Amino acid sequence: MAKRRIGSLLVGLLIGLSTGVFLGWGPFPVEYRNSPLSALAPRYQEEYTLMVAEGYQVDRDIEAALERLRPLGKPNTIDYVIELTERYISQSNIPAIPVMVALVEALIGPENLPAIMQLYRPTPTPAPATQG
Amino acid sequence: MTSSKHVRSSRGVSWWALALGLALGLAVGLVYTWEIDPVIERNTAPWQLSAAAREDYVVAVALSYAQNQDILLAADRLRAVSPNRNVWDVVAEVACNRVKQGKTVTNSDIRVIRALEQLYRPQGGSGCADGLYPTPEPITIVPATPTFPPTPTLTPPPSKTPTVPGPTPTGAMAVVPTSTPASGAFALARLQSFCDPDRPGVIEVRIYDARGNGVPGIPVTVTWSGNESDTFFTGLKPEREAGYADFSMEAGRSYTVTLPGLVSNAPTVEADSCQASVGDEVVTTVTSYYVNFQARSN
Repeated sequence: MAKRRIGSLLVGLLIGLSTGVFLGWGPFPVEYRNSPLSALAPRYQEEYTLMVAEGYQVDRDIEAALERLRPLGKPNTIDYVIELTERYISQSNIPAIPVMVALVEALIGPENLPAIMQLYRPTPTPAPATQG
Repeated sequence: MTSSKHVRSSRGVSWWALALGLALGLAVGLVYTWEIDPVIERNTAPWQLSAAAREDYVVAVALSYAQNQDILLAADRLRAVSPNRNVWDVVAEVACNRVKQGKTVTNSDIRVIRALEQLYRPQGGSGCADGLYPTPEPITIVPATPTFPPTPTLTPPPSKTPTVPGPTPTGAMAVVPTSTPASGAFALARLQSFCDPDRPGVIEVRIYDARGNGVPGIPVTVTWSGNESDTFFTGLKPEREAGYADFSMEAGRSYTVTLPGLVSNAPTVEADSCQASVGDEVVTTVTSYYVNFQARSN
């Protein structure tokens, strides 16, 4: 009698545990609502990075751009931006390439810009002539 | 009874024990997957972000819009942040919150507020940051030009009829307060930057009447960092000009210059760095500004 009850309990536990794990990891996982930027899906992270690069075109403040990218939580933000830019180049993402290259150039300096990115550098604006 | 016992023993199952086990197992399974080892968060959408992260995202959208001017793209991106609300109100809220939190210290902060406003206002959004940091008119950086002394006024020829000398005016150096003009009586007449290593980061304010004469005694208020301000008066440096006053800025900040109650359009200037040529040398210093107001002619 006791063996039968213990057996049933163990069988129930096993089935319940399996069901709970299946539900908790599958159809009903924890739903996060206060997530950091680092938890964004990759496509949103890339979009966010592109927006920051476009913002850099507006304010030319590289410190502010880096500050905006930091919450993405990448181990090396600069490497991440370079990788993303290279990916955009390989995908011929024409609208995104010049702004991303400009950001990379500002981050690592024009002399360190990879050769492939040199092709996409925006034409430098000639310095205004000074008088007197 | 015998047959019932026979059924139970033949199946070998205790139903209540099985149900208890099932409930316990389910509870343990859910506690484990929700608390101890939850699904690693990898595919979060912008609407699931925390308030601070959502603000970062909205700022990025606004700056991006300032660059590409693609309003449909901006709206799509904002809908991902806030699918159930008017996205322009969300942008206005972000701008308002940033102003309230004092995120208006650096030039970059000001540009963010402007970018947010340029995004929501044309779409009908409105908030407490409306018009606080208007986009200044385009400024051309010009090298410093020497200031010439004012042109001397020709003295009228002496009259043949001798005039009785009046009482000698006293306190010529004192500021003579003028009668207070009506609100909106002055308009911005000049906003121009200059780069002079000898006068770095100076706002030179000049107030003129409708005829172009300097007006002393006019209060000038400069505000920065959202809530800091200083008020001073024109005419305290009569050796410069009657309607002259100046203010020293700190590099990297933005300043709004206004005549309280006298102008409707207060310009905002930024203490950016600039380069000036001194002989053969290029010197980096802080941009200064000429800000002139002139009385509107009736």
